[in-house]
Amino acid sequence: MKVLLISNDAGGYAHHVEAPDNTTVQQMFERHVGAFHAESYLIRVNRQPAAADQLLRDGDRVSFTPQKIEGAA
Amino acid sequence: MYLRDIGPTEIGGFGISNADDLLLIEDIQLVRQTCSVTSVEFDDASVADFFDSQVDAGRQPEQFARVWVHTHPGASPSPSQTDEETFSRCFGGVDWCVMHILAEEGNTYTRARFNVGPGTDRRLRCRTVLDCEFPATDHEKWFEEYCENVTVFDPFASRRSAIDLYDDADWWQQPPTAADLWSDRLFEVGR
Repeated sequence: MKVLLISNDAGGYAHHVEAPDNTTVQQMFERHVGAFHAESYLIRVNRQPAAADQLLRDGDRVSFTPQKIEGAA
Repeated sequence: MYLRDIGPTEIGGFGISNADDLLLIEDIQLVRQTCSVTSVEFDDASVADFFDSQVDAGRQPEQFARVWVHTHPGASPSPSQTDEETFSRCFGGVDWCVMHILAEEGNTYTRARFNVGPGTDRRLRCRTVLDCEFPATDHEKWFEEYCENVTVFDPFASRRSAIDLYDDADWWQQPPTAADLWSDRLFEVGR
């Protein structure tokens, strides 16, 4: 299956990637971002927050975006 | 500078880069954020919505998610510990990123970080390019964007956060926006 992956990590993704059937959100995250710091990201599927064990479907849009961007003087 | 001066608080956004020159910033996009005189905090869902909308517009993350811009209230643009933590935590996994801080009196701090190879940080000199078209200049739209995205949090007015205030309000009421709280000043600036 193909999913649209949006992530700013490394060189950045905003394109379709191939994934095996029954891939979970967590597996997709670990494959493209790494097995750590998941808590630093807002993970959404089709613009909705997703659980780690959610199964992805062909055509899904998955985004990993940074959380808690804050500045202070 | 328009966005820095329009309200009484810090403000932040993402720089939108020229597709052929990623360090040439052609626009600054706000996301929903809660701002005080000394802080700015982006709304996580709004950041994700921003990514979605930019991808839908045909941009790649390196064009819209690498240059983090925010202001400081005083004359010092030097990054705070919070700024540094955000820069490392939120942008530590990307190939390169830039933190740009605009303070009063036009003082700026710009630093690029390259996370490939051994990794390095480098201060950049910031300058305004005046010899090319800059279609994003639209004060009216900037004003609307500001009012739509910025929620002012005044810690001296209440010990509760703006979210708490919203929870107590009727469900159809929107949280107080910058325009609600600072309307006189905003209209003077936006005129």
